[in-house]
Amino acid sequence: MFDLEKAVKDWRKSLNANEALEDGDKEELESHLRDKIEYLIDQGSSEENAYEEAIAKIGTSQILGTEYYRETTRRLSGRPSWEKSRWMPTLLSNYLKIGLRKIKRQKVYSFINIVGLAVGLACSAVIILYVTNELTYDSFHPDVNRVYRVATHRISQIGEHTFVSTPAPLGPELKASYPQVEHAVRIVPPYENADHVLVVHEKKRFFEDRIFFVDNAIFQVFQIPFIQGDTKTALIDPHTVVITEDMAKKYFGDENGDGPILGEILQIEIDYDTGTVESQDYRVTGVVKNAPTNTHFKYDMLLSMPTFVSNLSSFESDWMNPMYKYTYVKLFPKIDASEFEKQIQHAAAIASKVYAEELNREMKLYEYFLQPVARIHMHSRLMAELEPPGNWYYLYIYSLAAFLILLIGCMNFINLSAALSTTRIQEVGLRRVVGAQSRQLIGQFLGESFLITLLAFAAAFGLISLLLSPFNRMAGTELMMSGLAQPIVALAICILLILVAVGSGGYPAFILTALKPVSILQGKAIASSRGSFLQRFLVVGQFAISIFLVICTLTVFKQLDFMRGRALGFDLDQKLLIRIQSNMNHLRQDYETIKQDFLQHPSITGATVSSRVPGDRSGAGYYLTVKAEDFQGSPRCKAITVDYDFIPEYEIKMVAGRAFDRKLGNDEAEAYVINLAAVKHLGFSSPEEALGKSFMAHYHRKTTRIVGVTDDFHFVGMHDAVEPYILDIENSLFSTITLSIRVENMKDLMAFVEKKWNTHFPGVPFEYSFLDENFDRLYRYEQQMSKLLGIITSLGFVIACLGLFGLASFIVRRRTKEIGIRKVLGASTTDIISMLSRKFVLLILASIVLAFPLAFFAMNKWLQDFAYRIELTGLVFVIAAVGALAIAIATVSFQGLRAASANPVNSLRDE
Amino acid sequence: MISKSLAAASTKPVILSILAGGEIYGYQIIHNMIEISGGTLEWSEGTIYPVLHRLEKERLIRSQWKISENGRRRKYYRLTELGQQELEKERKQWMSVNAVLSKLWEPLASYD
Repeated sequence: MFDLEKAVKDWRKSLNANEALEDGDKEELESHLRDKIEYLIDQGSSEENAYEEAIAKIGTSQILGTEYYRETTRRLSGRPSWEKSRWMPTLLSNYLKIGLRKIKRQKVYSFINIVGLAVGLACSAVIILYVTNELTYDSFHPDVNRVYRVATHRISQIGEHTFVSTPAPLGPELKASYPQVEHAVRIVPPYENADHVLVVHEKKRFFEDRIFFVDNAIFQVFQIPFIQGDTKTALIDPHTVVITEDMAKKYFGDENGDGPILGEILQIEIDYDTGTVESQDYRVTGVVKNAPTNTHFKYDMLLSMPTFVSNLSSFESDWMNPMYKYTYVKLFPKIDASEFEKQIQHAAAIASKVYAEELNREMKLYEYFLQPVARIHMHSRLMAELEPPGNWYYLYIYSLAAFLILLIGCMNFINLSAALSTTRIQEVGLRRVVGAQSRQLIGQFLGESFLITLLAFAAAFGLISLLLSPFNRMAGTELMMSGLAQPIVALAICILLILVAVGSGGYPAFILTALKPVSILQGKAIASSRGSFLQRFLVVGQFAISIFLVICTLTVFKQLDFMRGRALGFDLDQKLLIRIQSNMNHLRQDYETIKQDFLQHPSITGATVSSRVPGDRSGAGYYLTVKAEDFQGSPRCKAITVDYDFIPEYEIKMVAGRAFDRKLGNDEAEAYVINLAAVKHLGFSSPEEALGKSFMAHYHRKTTRIVGVTDDFHFVGMHDAVEPYILDIENSLFSTITLSIRVENMKDLMAFVEKKWNTHFPGVPFEYSFLDENFDRLYRYEQQMSKLLGIITSLGFVIACLGLFGLASFIVRRRTKEIGIRKVLGASTTDIISMLSRKFVLLILASIVLAFPLAFFAMNKWLQDFAYRIELTGLVFVIAAVGALAIAIATVSFQGLRAASANPVNSLRDE
Repeated sequence: MISKSLAAASTKPVILSILAGGEIYGYQIIHNMIEISGGTLEWSEGTIYPVLHRLEKERLIRSQWKISENGRRRKYYRLTELGQQELEKERKQWMSVNAVLSKLWEPLASYD
């Protein structure tokens, strides 16, 4: 039976739930309710229905409370504190305050966290920039998916070759005979052997090496934005040139400033490899933006193709020679590239036929294939690439290295926040009791972790700008801060930040939330054993990574050292190289006089002239064979042309016979020296057997005897087996002077060399380099890697030690009383330090066990890439292990010492 | 139904107008409002009280607890001098708004 009185009383009680309602308000509301019910009963409702309708009309205590509150509060929003905000966690300001307070109160721990994360984030950001740069090569060209490079695959008697160059007539042929082709363009570097082209404007004379002949269609195929001039008029006429902004500044900056440069004249000297050197005037018909860094075709000057044709008439019909000529096509939209690829084999047949007619030899296979331009950088590693291709291997290594650093930083963060979370158990308990839900607590702790991550990222921003320039120098890139604004990079970094924040803050958040409030407030929930297991695990992980990195770094250093040391078979140090690019004949005729001139300086102890020096992957040279009549059939060796002083100056060791000897008078004509590899290659059973044997030179048809055999020397590094070489005294190919120097007064020495240079080669810019630099280019990647590993390892170690430092200080702090009691009972400082470090030593030992096999495996694999390599010795491992132990013990002991030397009275007095 | 913001804005003049008719208690105010508006003005009935309290704080009305015939305690509200003036101000404002809208809608009205 419905009891109206009781129902109304219950309803009134329900109003108590809302704190905004005062007693008088409730009374007034009750009076209202009763009036309404009476009215409804008068209207004919039953008591129950009247009651139900009345309370529905009057509104719930929630709605009423909010309205009452709004009338009395001074809060701007008028939102009662018990109502949820629609867009912001209720206690945000409190969370923020607590979070910032924690950071401020625990300065050391916050510092360790933020520094570790900042370094990790900065490294990661730089690597993200680098990876993005590598992977987006050439993708900025409009319609790049329709642009292809034509490459050659052919099998002849000499062997199978796949290279990226194609004969000169191919481009016009494709455009003329294939309706699928929208544009075809040829890119032709003006040199085959020389590296540099001399460019002259009035008094300015420089060698340029990013200079190409191109068809005008280049502007339709690649994106090359004009600053002055336009695509229609540029590079149409012979002897015209388009230059980049930087070149415009370099040659015309003084007189023209930013003014018009069109019509200006540059004098450019080009060796057409026909023995003739042409120095001609070129009219500037365009100024374009600098070539971007992420393209495989990097140019400073573009010369008009008709120039080439006018200078070398055979060019347009030369199907024979594909060397140093590159053909690109842009197909019309919706053309099936693979279908087109099949059809262009007709063009390949033309080349093949010409080849067969000229040489009277059939090609076994001659075919063209297409390479999508955007894939060239990372996917094409053929012969004669325009620039060294990208390297997946190092992309992975860099990414891995950045990841490891970030991981170590995160591990610090997890470890320290897990440790510190034990100090926050009371806070969590209290929050729980006053009604915090798990969701809110997790939100709070993740929020704090975000706060730290964001602070770290702010710090990382500064670090990135510091890191970029050394990184660019190391990796040969031109990454910039502004690259961070690219959508894809920004997105990747945001994802990284979220991962770091959630990954690092997640663990403490979840363990703290999982605790039961009752046990917390009873004081039962102290750091669980699970927590300390994680701590141990993380310390082991960090140190395993660090030790792994140390072993890798030491191994790479050792291998590099080995590859640059005596095992090379010649002396790499203190040699100055001077390359001759112009007026070669003076060098080739008068090299003895020139050498004598340089030798006048007391710091120059030796001089030699040759066609190639160590570090040159290629160079002018020729092949020699034992039997001239069967040149194709018998084994051949590459020749390096040298003078009498080459073998002694480079300290190449003789194993049999003699070196060249001036006194004997006629070694130019009558003597060869070969290396051990050549002995084997030519089929002699021993060096002694080779002595006295005759030889036929294909190039200049002279027959000469072998007078000596040298030990093997590694001209092109130790990645590959030693090539067989013949040393021949032959001046017609000389190109480089090597000066052995004593470094005393470098400035004075260089001034002297330059003065002598100018007397012998007036008007030719003086450029020099050092032999070790020249040679180290061969090891570019290894050196990059060793530098990177060195940096990563030291950073990783420092961060890991910081973490250990923090953890040790935390543990010491927690055990202060215990230490105090131990001291009172007679423990010595040493006892206490050893007690504290014992556990850590065990952890480091565990990480050593973990790191050793990984490092062994990784380094063994890396060393496989080298034909000549060091043995992995135990020493490296021992150094890494002992180093890690020593540093760890030192870190922990520092904390231990502080605790142990403190007066126990201080720690025991309170409470 | 009228919109929430319009309802909020009109509550004050409506309540003051009803109170102009003499001393009256909360339930009656609501009752009158529903009857006069024919149900177009409708909200949670209890929320009128916070409004009344605010008007009282603004000294536009004054309240008094009284015992009614059936022995129930009721809070009665009546207009003050200040409330009288405020009502006059409100009336002028609403009339002018009404005048503007009527003029604007005259052509529309002719279609009806």
